[in-house]
Amino acid sequence: MSSREEILQNVRRAIHVQYEMPDLTELESISQKFPDKVQKFCDVMKAAGGNTVILKEGEDVNEVIRRLYPDLKRVASNLKEITCATFNPDEVQTPAELDGTDLAIVKGVVGVAETAAVWLTQDMKERALYFISERLIILLDKEKLVDNMHDGYKHIDTGDYGFGLFMSGPSKTADIEQALVFGAHGPREVTVILY
Amino acid sequence: MSTKHSKNAARFLKDKEQVAWHDQTLWMVRAKRDRLGKEIPEWEKLRDAASAIKMYSNSHLDTLLTTFEKNAVANGAKVYWAKDADEYCKIIYGILQQHHVKHFVKSKSMLSEECELDPYLESKGIEVVETDLGERILQLMKIKPSHIVMPAIHIKREKVGKLFEKEMGTEPGNSDPTYLTHAARKNLRQRFIHADAAMTGANFAVAETGEVVVCTNEGNADMGTSQPKLQIAAFGMEKIVPDRRSLGVFTRLLARSGTGQPITTYTSHYRKPREGGELHIIIVDNGRSKILANEEHRKTLNCIRCGACMNTCPVYRRSGGYSYTYFIPGPIGINLGMLKAPLHYYDNVSACSLCYSCSNVCPAKVDLAEQIYLWRQDLNKLGVANPIKKLMSGGMEYLMNRPKLFNSTLKMAPLGMGILKSVGFQWGKGRDYPSFPKESFNELWKKGKVK
Ligand code: SF4
Repeated sequence: MSSREEILQNVRRAIHVQYEMPDLTELESISQKFPDKVQKFCDVMKAAGGNTVILKEGEDVNEVIRRLYPDLKRVASNLKEITCATFNPDEVQTPAELDGTDLAIVKGVVGVAETAAVWLTQDMKERALYFISERLIILLDKEKLVDNMHDGYKHIDTGDYGFGLFMSGPSKTADIEQALVFGAHGPREVTVILY
Repeated sequence: MSTKHSKNAARFLKDKEQVAWHDQTLWMVRAKRDRLGKEIPEWEKLRDAASAIKMYSNSHLDTLLTTFEKNAVANGAKVYWAKDADEYCKIIYGILQQHHVKHFVKSKSMLSEECELDPYLESKGIEVVETDLGERILQLMKIKPSHIVMPAIHIKREKVGKLFEKEMGTEPGNSDPTYLTHAARKNLRQRFIHADAAMTGANFAVAETGEVVVCTNEGNADMGTSQPKLQIAAFGMEKIVPDRRSLGVFTRLLARSGTGQPITTYTSHYRKPREGGELHIIIVDNGRSKILANEEHRKTLNCIRCGACMNTCPVYRRSGGYSYTYFIPGPIGINLGMLKAPLHYYDNVSACSLCYSCSNVCPAKVDLAEQIYLWRQDLNKLGVANPIKKLMSGGMEYLMNRPKLFNSTLKMAPLGMGILKSVGFQWGKGRDYPSFPKESFNELWKKGKVK
C-alpha cells in the first residue's frame, strides 16, 4: 500500500465524529467596521512601521514619488502611469538582477483597514521584486479599502502567476532580544499611496 | 525525585537577571496580545469560529486532503505523502538530489525540527541555510530553538555580536540589534541569490485552491522562494483549512495571539510554480492520524502554532524552553510530547501549575490545561507517577476530608516546613517556602477580623 493510501486509511479509521463546518455569516456581519477606513488604515500602517500618503486632487503621483525619494538611482516599475521609473522589471533575465533595486512601485488590489494589509497579485515576471527592493511603494485606490480580513478575502485572487500576498508594512524582525528592527530581508520602507 | 524539567529549570534559573528579562519580555508580548484582542469586540466569537473550523477540518481530513491534492496538481504542483519523519526526509532529499542541489535555503518550519531534516540533509552533503534570523543564529550556534515563534528568545545580544564577528565579519564589540540584523540581511541576501532550491513549511494549506499559505514578518520565505526555480513546501496534515474564507478568521487571530501584531507582515499564497520552475508539496502524517484517533487529545490538532500558550505560561516564562525535554516547549509541547512518546516525555507534565491561562488564550481553543490534567491522571497507569507527590496528594486528600485535623495541621505548618527543609525534602528544592502568617485565615475569620 502506498503511503498515501495508508495515511488516508488511518485518517478514515481515526474519525468517529464528524463536525459541521460553522456558518461564518453571522461572525462576518458583526465584525469590526470603521466609519473612516482611510484613517484606520493609515493609523494601523503607522503602527506597523509603514507610511501612507493620500494623493490630493490633481496631484501627479510621479511628482509625489520624486518628492519622497529625490535621488534614487534604480527605480523599478512596469506600470504605465509611472514615468519616474528608471527600468522595467519585466526585462530582467533572472530575479537576482533585481538585487540593488532602490525602489519598486507596484499596484495593490485591495487594502484592509483593520490590519493595514494590502493584497498584491503578482502582475510582473518576477515576484522577487516585492521583496528584494530596498523600498516599496504601493499604489492603492481608496475605494478598494475594506474593513476587515473577512472582507479582504472576498476580493483576492492569485492571478495567472499563481501568487499573491497580503503585505502589511516593511519587513521586520525582533529576533535579537525582541528589539524591533526594520528591513530583516525585505523592503526597509513601505509607503502606500492612496489615490 | 526531581523531574528532568525541574533540573533543567534549575540551570536556567541560575542567571537571575536573564530569568527576569525572559519572564518580563514574554509577559509583555502576552500583554500586547491582550490589548489587540480587546480592540476586537467579536474576539471570543472569532476563537469559537477558529476552533469550529479546525474541528470540521480535522474530522474531514481525508476529503480535504484529497481535494487539496487534486487542486494542487491542477495548479502544476507535485504532491507527495509522507507517513513519518523518515519518509519526509527521504522525499526531500530525493527532490534535491534529482536537481543536483548543493545550496539550499529554508524558512522556519517546526515540522522540519520535528523530523530533524537539517542534520539528515547535512549528513548527505547538502548545505542547509536557515534564513529566519533567529533560526540562523541558532543554526550557527549549533543549538535548538527555545520557543516556536521567537526561537532565539533566550540568547543575549552580546552573544549574537560575538557570533557574527566570527561568521560575518561584523565589527568587534558591536552588539546593536539593528546593526547585526542588517549584517545578516546582507550576508543572507547572497545565500538567497545563489540558492539552488528553497523550502518553506506552511501555516495553512487551502483545500479549495490547492495553495499553501506562509506567514512571516521578515520576508525570508518569499525572498527564498522567489530566487531559485525549485520550491518545496511541506506541512503536517492538520494545517489544512477548507477555503480562503476560513483564512479571514485565522489571519485575524494568528499574529494578534502570537506576537501582538494585527497581522504578520507577509501572508503569502503560493499556488503555482514559478514560470519555468517546480513546486513540490509534501503532506506529512508522522503521528497525526494517531492523535486524531485519540478522543481525549485530538483537539491538540487545532493548534496553529502561534506561541501564545508559551508566552502566557508562568512556568515557561520562568524556566525557559530548554527545560522541557520535547522539542516544542510550553503547554502545547507538554501535550504533543505525551502524544509522541509518553514514557519519554512525561517529565514535562509536571511543568504546569494548572492555572489554565493557556487554555484561555489559545486562539483555536485547544484545551491545553485540561489535557495536561488528564495526562497527570494517567501517570499512575504509566507507572511513572512521582511517589513523593503521590504520597503528598494522598495525604492532602486525607486531610481535606478531616477538617479538624486539617486545622491543627495548619497550625503546625511553619514548624513542619522547617523540618522538611532541614531534612532536605525534595519537593522544596528550587522553590521558596511560603512564610506562614501567625494567624490562619480560619482563625481570623472566626475572630471576625475578616469581612
Ligand atoms: S496550542 Fe493554541 S496557544 Fe498554543 S501554540 Fe497552539 S494555537 Fe497557539
